[in-house]
Order: sequence, then structure tokens, then C-alpha cells
Amino acid sequence: MAEDWGSTSFLEEQFRRYYRAGVAKVDPPLEMERREFGFLPFDGGVMIRHTSFSDPSQLHAFIMEKAPAHIYYSSAYYREPRADMESKGWIGADMVFDIDADHMETPCRMNHDAWRCNLCGAEGMGRAPERCPKCGGTTLEEETWVCDICLDKAKGEAQKLLDILIQDFGIPLEYLKVNFTGNRGYHIHITAPWIRGLDQRARREIVDYVTGSGMRIELLGFRPGVKGSSPLHGLGWRGRASKALYDYLAKPPPRLLEEVRRGRGKKMRSITDSRDEILKVLGEGPPSGILKYLGRESLNRLMEEAVREQAAAVDTVVTMDIHRLIRLPNTLNGKTGLIAQPVSVEGLEDYDPLSSSIAFKGGEVPIYVRRAPMFRLGGEKYGPFKEEPASLPLAAAIFLLCRKAARIGR
Amino acid sequence: MISEREASKYPFLKEAASLLEHLEIDIENLTDQRYRPILDRGEERVIQAIRYGVVGGGLKDDLAEFLSFPIAVMLVSMTRDPFLERRYALAEAVRARRLLESEDEGRIAEIARGEFRWRIKVQRREIEDTIYSFELHFVDYLRNSSSFREDKWRLINRILTEGYVLLTKAEAVRLLQVEVEELIRRLSSRRVESNMPEQIMERLGRIKRTLDESRSSIGDSALPSEVIHGAFPPCITHSYRTLTAGGRLSHIERFTLSSFLLNIGMEPERIVQLFVSASDFDEGLTRYQIEHISGLRGSRTRYTPPNCMTMRTHGICHNPDSLCGKVKHPLSYYRRRASELRMSPKARKDR
Ligand code: SF4
Ligand SMILES: [Zn+2]
Ligand SMILES: [Zn+2]
Repeated sequence: MAEDWGSTSFLEEQFRRYYRAGVAKVDPPLEMERREFGFLPFDGGVMIRHTSFSDPSQLHAFIMEKAPAHIYYSSAYYREPRADMESKGWIGADMVFDIDADHMETPCRMNHDAWRCNLCGAEGMGRAPERCPKCGGTTLEEETWVCDICLDKAKGEAQKLLDILIQDFGIPLEYLKVNFTGNRGYHIHITAPWIRGLDQRARREIVDYVTGSGMRIELLGFRPGVKGSSPLHGLGWRGRASKALYDYLAKPPPRLLEEVRRGRGKKMRSITDSRDEILKVLGEGPPSGILKYLGRESLNRLMEEAVREQAAAVDTVVTMDIHRLIRLPNTLNGKTGLIAQPVSVEGLEDYDPLSSSIAFKGGEVPIYVRRAPMFRLGGEKYGPFKEEPASLPLAAAIFLLCRKAARIGR
Repeated sequence: MISEREASKYPFLKEAASLLEHLEIDIENLTDQRYRPILDRGEERVIQAIRYGVVGGGLKDDLAEFLSFPIAVMLVSMTRDPFLERRYALAEAVRARRLLESEDEGRIAEIARGEFRWRIKVQRREIEDTIYSFELHFVDYLRNSSSFREDKWRLINRILTEGYVLLTKAEAVRLLQVEVEELIRRLSSRRVESNMPEQIMERLGRIKRTLDESRSSIGDSALPSEVIHGAFPPCITHSYRTLTAGGRLSHIERFTLSSFLLNIGMEPERIVQLFVSASDFDEGLTRYQIEHISGLRGSRTRYTPPNCMTMRTHGICHNPDSLCGKVKHPLSYYRRRASELRMSPKARKDR
């Protein structure tokens, strides 16, 4: 047998054992009979799709029997969830925001992520480049790892998003569900009935809103001649953007200031010269007063940067999709063996995904690790490993097996 | 029960429909001499929609004016012409919007809630230089604004708080226009019996003739004689037709169409009118943009439409024909075809 990285039959057995004991924790989604379910088995086969269940016990029995690596359900509600895509009869869909550290720039990625070119075999650390630097190939495999810094960043984005959804969109807490994905991010579900019927265009508007895309500063009151008070307490993005700008100018990153200054040439004295005046205007209003100190272009660029700090980084394409399958909460993520776990909105701040979501307890398992950066689970740190045997607690061993970074045995 | 006055203003309201049931009018009686003014006005509504893109005027007698609406809707649906259905729905919706503009906030909210189930609150707020009169739930807002392309309608550029979007009176009424348009389109796409008294069929015939005359020239009449409509490249014809049929153009299509028309010598003001009357764009903003493109404002350079390659990448190179293969720019297409047409009168027929 070729090298069995991941030891899938072992994993499948462990998953089955877990589900036999705890499948009752798997909460079916709202109106489960209208959802499509999808399962990805361990054996590397194709996704089992177009299935549906009319009650929780059916679903639980199925999960115990198949012990799949990944379990998904549709954000959409269908008249015929078992039919093929054309005849399902779309009724509506929850809106699920995808926040994934894979789409974020974190400083730690150089340490834990790696890529490999499928064409020539070149390798490197960090995010995969667009093209292989050696042969120019465009099919690069990326290997990403769970890490505290990345997860903190993702959590921060989730908190900003929740803030916008609650304050601006007025979504009541009962309709907001936060789930750790069991890997590198969070899913935020809006299950409010009034959201369900929105089409993709409308969803795009919502995504653009939370990501701060397409903002026009003159429409936020930054246009000549406008009277009024300080924009800092403004509603919605007016306040948020103005606060962002305020913070940004109060402690500006030097790179940006330099750029803006150069962009405007000699016409404008440096922003730093007039910074105090600008901050004063922001504090007292009206916002149009800033245009005395900053040209529209510069203000636009500054604002864009500042707003990025306040906006939530969600994956636009995935979030707009009204037919997608999302991971079912309280199931195991086959890429880590961690639980995709619901977190309360209030509890998010103190939530530690790498402790709370550990599914497998106890046991020492002898494995052989081909490569892994240092990682943490619960209170313990493991690794880094390179081509070496190790004896690890079950959860850590399963984590590495799921990453296909190890196999059972010496 | 709704007053006859109100029913004549907003004949599409549910309450108005129940007034109609109350009156128990029979199709058989339609040909009665007494009803003649109503039939005339019904026909006129449709003709006005075809010719001017808006329904205007009206009968002094409120009840008769009201009754002419279902007649008009019936006539439109009898044509089974989707182009007319759209054009008529827009024309009625523009009429309704103009009337709604002079209502007070309470009445506007009442119609929005009662007729279209909007979650809307009357709430006056003055923020900077803008007076907001309403708060509308974002779901209702998005449903009606998502076809608008202007930046000011993008949700990100709105004031959104606790689930509600702040709206000025004019904006609320503009969004209501979308609902009314949708409603009337639904009404007039209902299939009705086509077996009607002679009187009605005659009117139907007149409408169809007007429609046929206008379909080819709905634009032509708006064009100065030196502009040769038949020489437009397919892409321009497409956006021109979309616009005059009350359809929506993307930002780039609008830019392309206006810069094209400017470059072949159409007066900026005529282009403004074309946009405003066809699609009810904000007149001031449209004028500003057109003057900008024409070089009257801003950088003082006249813009030209994008070349064919750019058009293709934007997905707005529609139905290219054989001449398209020989040119790289919509304007060169126009010049070549125009000179062909000028030289041989026969070629004109081919178009
Ligand atoms: S090829 Fe050029 S002129 Fe012809 S339709 Fe396409 S864009 Fe228009
Ligand atoms: Zn390579
Ligand atoms: Zn990291």
C-alpha cells in the first residue's frame, strides 16, 4: 500500500465512535425538512448530495452509520430538497457570512503556511503566489494551518460584522448564530425570516455594506458647503467611517502618510501639518470642513484605508451564494477533527476555539509525522515536526492525521 | 370606502379595485354611449404611454377617469406585447409618482404600507443639508432599489440604523414608483379574453398601429435629422432600444450611449431629454453627466465611447454583425454605415 497519509480508516473509526456517543448534540437546522444535506466521506469519494431528512433521528442515524468527514446542509430552503438543482424549487435562504483566515493577511502565515507547485514541485512558505516563481505554473497547492493569531484576527472580523449587523441592520440576537468552523474561521448566520427572500443582488448590497465597498465620501457628508455637526456620532457608516478616519489620523501608519503626501505633490503641505485641525473638524463638524485641509482625492484614499480597519472582511462570493452548502454546527470538521461549534454572541469575546472545540479526549497515539509547524491544542503546544515519530494525545494525533501530515504507526 | 377622487389618482390600489366591484360594470355594457368618454380616455392612456412615456391629463369626472384605467390595462394586455406592457407600466408609474410627490408623508406611508406591505415609519430628521422624512426597512429598500445604478442608492451610501434606511420624501416616492410599475406590469400581463365587442377591437387596432409606428421610431422622433438611426451599430441599437423601452442600462452602457450620441452630433440637451423621458432619470444629475461627457464641464475634453474590444470585455457588444468584423470602434461602424446609406437609398431598406 502507498503511504497512507491521514490513515483514513482510523479516522473514520474515531469519527464513528465520537458520533455514536454524541450524535444527539448535532442540532438539525431550522426547518430541516426543507434543506438539502451533503456528506463528504473519508474514502475520498464524491460528495453525497441531494439528501434530506424529515426528523433529527433520521439524520442522526445516517451520521452514525456513515461517519462522514464533513457534514453540510444548504443555507437554502427548497420545496424538493432531494430533486436535482433545476427542480429543487428555491424558497429562500439564510444569509451566511463566511469569515476565513485564508483570505486574510496575517503576519504568521510565513511561519505556518506552505505551498507547492503541481507542475515542477517547487515549494515555499507563506501564501501561495499567483504563479510559480520557478516555472510559471498556475496550479499551486496551498497548505494552511490553524493558529492563534489567525483565529484571533478572524474573531475580530466576526465581532466587527456582528456589530454592524446588530447596530445598522437591527438583526435581533435570536436570529444571529455564530459558529466556529472547526478550522480557520467563523460562519455568521442570519436566520431572520425577512432575510430569506433576498436575491443575490440584494445580498451583494449587504456584503458591500459590511465590507465598506463602494463608499462615496461626498455621500457621507464630506462635500463642500455642507453644514452640520461632528460626524463622529453619525449613524451607520457616517459615524463609523468618521471614527475610522479619526483613529487613523490620530495614529497614522507612516507609509500611508508618505504616499498621500507624494501623490499630492507640492500643492499640499503634509497631512501631518494639518492633522490637529482635521481632528478638530472631525470632532466638531461639519465634515465638509476637512476639505479645506485635504483634497478630495487624498481624503478618498485616506478614508478607503481607514474604513478597511472598520469593515468586516467577509468572503463576498461565498456569502452571496444562495445555493451553497455550509457546515452543520456541532459536527466534526474532517480537516482538523475539531468541532464546528456554535458560540453565543456574548461569549465570542472570551471564546477559545482551540480549547473549546476539542472533540477527542485522552489516549496516546503513536504516529509518524512528515511535516507540521508548531501548533497548540488546549493548554499544550506540539511540534514543530519534520519526518519523525511522535506519541501524541488522541486530539493532537487526529488533528495531524486530518491534515494528512501524519500516519498511524512508527 | 375610497373616494372617487382618490381612486382616480391611484386607480391601481386594492381599495380602488373593490370600488370597481361595487359598481358592477358589465362588459356587455361597455359599448353603451354613456361609456364612450371612458373608453376614449382608456385608449388615450395607452397612446400617451407609447408616445410620451408617461400618462398625463385626465378627465374632470373622477369616476370616469378612474374607470378608464382598467380599460387601458385591458387594452394593453390584449396586445400581448411585452414591450408595450413594460412601457405602459412605466408610464403609469411615473404618473403615480408625480401625484404622490404632492401628498403628505402620512398618505405616502399609508399607501406604501397598505398596498405594498412596506415596513415604513414617518420620521423627520435633518442631517446636514438633507431632510429625511421616512425610515424604511432595509429589506423593502433593497427589493426596490437594487435595479438602480446610481451610487446614492447603494446601501453603503445610505444612512442605515437599526434595520431602517433613512429616505427623503422624493426618494421614498421614487421607490414606490418601482412597486407601482411592477404591480401594473403584473396587471397588464394577465391574459384576458380577446373576444371583445367591435368598439373595443377598433381601439385595439389603433393602439397596435401606433405601437408599430413608434417601435421603429420611438427614438427617431427624438433624433435630429442629421443623426442616422439606421446606421447605429448593434450594440448602440441595443442600449438605445432598452432605454426607450423603459429598461435599465448599466453605468457603462449609459456612458457609451451618451458619448456615442454626442459624437455623432446630437445636442446634449436632446440626450438629456431622451434619458429623462425614457427612464425617468434625475434630470439635474443626467444633465450634469451629459455635459461632463460632452466636455462642457470638467476636464473640457469630449469623451468617446469605448472601442469594440473594451465593449466586449464589459459584455455589452450585443449581436455584432458582419460589418462589426471590419471595424474596431462603434463610431467607425456608424460612419461607414452612414455613408453607405447616404449613397444608396436602397440600402436603407435592408436595415
Ligand atoms: S463589434 Fe463593436 S460596433 Fe459591433 S456591436 Fe460590437 S461593439 Fe458594437
Ligand atoms: Zn512550478
Ligand atoms: Zn497564523
